[in-house]
Amino acid sequence: MPQNEYIEESIRRHGRRLDHDERKRKKEARKVHKDAAFAQKVHGLKAKLYNKKRHNEKIQMKKTLKMHDEKNAKQKTDDAVPEGAVPAYLLDREGQQRAKVLSNMLKQKRKEKAGKWNVPLPKVRGIAEDEMFRVVKTGKSKTKSWKRMVTKPTFVGDGFTRKPPKYERFIRPMALRYKKANVTHPELKATFQLPIIGVKKNPQSPMYTQLGVLTKGTIIEVNVAELGLVTTGGKVLWGKYAQITNNPENDGCINALLLV
Amino acid sequence: MTSIYNFKRIAPVPDSTDFLDIVLSKTQRKTPTVIHPGYKITRIRQFYMRKVKFTQETFDEKLRQILEEFPVLDNVHPFYADLMNVLYDKDHYKLALGQINTAKHLIDAVGKDYLRLLKFGDSLYRCKQLKRAALGRMATIMKRQKDSLSYLEQVRQHLARLPSIDPNTRTLIVCGYPNVGKSSFMNKVTRADVDVQPYAFTTKSLFVGHMDYKYLRWQVIDTPGILDHPLEERNTIEMQSITALAHLRAAVLFFVDLSEQCGYSIQDQMSLFASIKPLFANKPTLLVVSKTDVCTLDDVRPEERRLVEAACDQGVEMSQLSSYLDTGVMETRDLACDKLLLQRVEMKLKGNKVNSVLNKLNVAQPGRRDTVDRPACIPTAVLEHRNTRMETDAAERPMLERELEAIHGGPGVYNVDLKKRYMLASDEWRHDIIPEIMNGKNVADFIDPDIEEKLAELEREEERLAAEGLYDSPDDSDDEEERRIRDVARRIRQRKQIIASEARVKDVNRATLTNKQKAAASAPEDFVNHLQQLGLDPETAMSTAQRIGRKRGRSESRDPAVLMARSSSVAARAVSTQRDRSTMGLKNARQKSVSDKKKLVSQRQMNLMARAGESDRKIGMKMPKHLVTGKRSIGTNDRR
Repeated sequence: MPQNEYIEESIRRHGRRLDHDERKRKKEARKVHKDAAFAQKVHGLKAKLYNKKRHNEKIQMKKTLKMHDEKNAKQKTDDAVPEGAVPAYLLDREGQQRAKVLSNMLKQKRKEKAGKWNVPLPKVRGIAEDEMFRVVKTGKSKTKSWKRMVTKPTFVGDGFTRKPPKYERFIRPMALRYKKANVTHPELKATFQLPIIGVKKNPQSPMYTQLGVLTKGTIIEVNVAELGLVTTGGKVLWGKYAQITNNPENDGCINALLLV
Repeated sequence: MTSIYNFKRIAPVPDSTDFLDIVLSKTQRKTPTVIHPGYKITRIRQFYMRKVKFTQETFDEKLRQILEEFPVLDNVHPFYADLMNVLYDKDHYKLALGQINTAKHLIDAVGKDYLRLLKFGDSLYRCKQLKRAALGRMATIMKRQKDSLSYLEQVRQHLARLPSIDPNTRTLIVCGYPNVGKSSFMNKVTRADVDVQPYAFTTKSLFVGHMDYKYLRWQVIDTPGILDHPLEERNTIEMQSITALAHLRAAVLFFVDLSEQCGYSIQDQMSLFASIKPLFANKPTLLVVSKTDVCTLDDVRPEERRLVEAACDQGVEMSQLSSYLDTGVMETRDLACDKLLLQRVEMKLKGNKVNSVLNKLNVAQPGRRDTVDRPACIPTAVLEHRNTRMETDAAERPMLERELEAIHGGPGVYNVDLKKRYMLASDEWRHDIIPEIMNGKNVADFIDPDIEEKLAELEREEERLAAEGLYDSPDDSDDEEERRIRDVARRIRQRKQIIASEARVKDVNRATLTNKQKAAASAPEDFVNHLQQLGLDPETAMSTAQRIGRKRGRSESRDPAVLMARSSSVAARAVSTQRDRSTMGLKNARQKSVSDKKKLVSQRQMNLMARAGESDRKIGMKMPKHLVTGKRSIGTNDRR
């Protein structure tokens, strides 16, 4: 009955088979060939998965190589002229600098520039009414078709009560009502899940604004009390605008960017 | 007896990436994969909802399996619960399982939400995006479980390697300072092959071995050595011993090394004994002095001896052994086992279960009938024999087979006389030869007594004939006829070889004449030549060929007039007319009429459908355009 560390124990007592190291070396050496053969053979979904994995690995490898390269590569610089008296045979030498000198600060700046969301979505795709609404047939013989159902996510305030069915032209389904949005603060670069207060403007049409439809580009008002933002005067801010940046009907969630 | 605690059956826990691969590829394999935007929207929705639901269920099932398979600490025996706490940290373990449980609930919630959203999907694109989002969120939740999963996998591997200790059976626990000979004792009494080394903490975890005593199965637990310090300072290795001592109802063998070869003084060892004594409460305890080949109790200083003996009070017994010399090992084991057995029986008697057994037991003893003394009756002959046997010494008793063997040349030479003690009507028959019987007859009856002689006679005659030269090969190969035959045979063989080699080199890709064409092209002369080449006589073959191949024709003798005359004389051809097959196998006309009717019935459908026979299954044009277009469904009007 094997118990506890029986494998290690056995190796300790009897040793490994004599060609263990040789086999291990060979296996390792063959691995590249095996991988190559597999990469050529594989197809379908497995190929997709495998290639993605391999691709990532290669990127990682290249990055590491690059890092090592950067350490060693020498670059010419003009301003780094050696100071002081220089012998004649060294006069035509230009200053040398290592590539790594591309300072962290510069990198940081570039990154910030790329990540700066100073312009919210200025343009939106037009949405036709037949995409927005589904016709609900009513009447005993289902011949009347004046009723509409909104097929996009909507925001419905807390105090809303449905009208009697006879007067209810637009239905906003329960399943598509949202109360919260994932709001990113562009300067803090952090995302918070904040409650929605209301829909300020839907660029598609004022009617959609009235209905509280949430589509890409819609400006919503969110409750930022959680963030603890303060005005210059020292008052606590709690309502702020944000613009929706994703297609909520396709993603099942609302991502927005805080307008500061 | 098998242990009820078997942790070896827990399925491996994949790491988070593998987990995702398993679940997602299962979704891909087990759900339909083909969808087109042209399909009905309900169908598209159903297609994607199925995918989301299936993925969620697969995740759920896999996570549930993990949760169910891992033992719940509150439900296992306290020994195992404590051991797992020592080895894996109870809080960490519970946290990991709790996180898995939370992940399961989250995934279920995500699946539910997205199914609800999918019901409002109005295009393939939207449905697909929603499905993607759903699977993506599930995957994210799963990725966060990376650490829990890898921890659980490690726990599983370790659990599977734990010795299967049954906490309820008869058990001996071997404990003491490191390097005092615990594992050596274990190896002596059981078949467990525990590693023994001359340094401290060779045994780093619990080991279990099994042995038999009094026809019962016992388990012996070898524990790692313990040092004498407070419980808080003990490390994981020591804590395993403490766990075993605390939770198992067993006999405890506390090992003491008086020679101090282990590196710890006798005082240290005895103070450890005193400090862990609370753990021995209600357990039969033995103070085992080991390594007596080096140092016994008599050899130590008197104050130390007093220390050791002071420990042996209130039920603690002392025993000495040397695993090296193999002295006292079995005695120690038996002593411990007996004490434990006694205690277990006592415990059982104290319990309330015993009454239900005792009620069923009744040992009846007959009372005395009268005062007459009735001793056992021993025949006088037996008594005499017994007395004489007492008197006779070893020389007069019958010889043993072994002694007989030694006298008659030792093993390999001496043959055991198996017939010696046969019980037959007469003792003289013992060594008689037993007849061989075959088919109810004695084989010996069929043996000619003179057979040897006759054989010798035959051999002599044979020798004589050989000497006279009867078997010399005749030297008459010059016969004319035979030489000719041999010559022909040689030529045939040559020809055969040539044919074979020609066939071998024949170009099979060339167009060849068919056999029929070849036959038409060949003339009788070729046949003759061929036969001559083969060395055969073409005469008879030719005559036969001419006879068969003769052209049929009207001969002069068969002129029409003769034929006419003959045909008129002969009435009809009697025999060779064919029988009517339709009546074959039928007895009479009635049967025939019945079968005809049946045939008609069976063919009716085929006739109706205008089929050629049973095998005709052709489906013709269903709606011939020229017959269908331009017509109303009802009525005769054929205008549009």
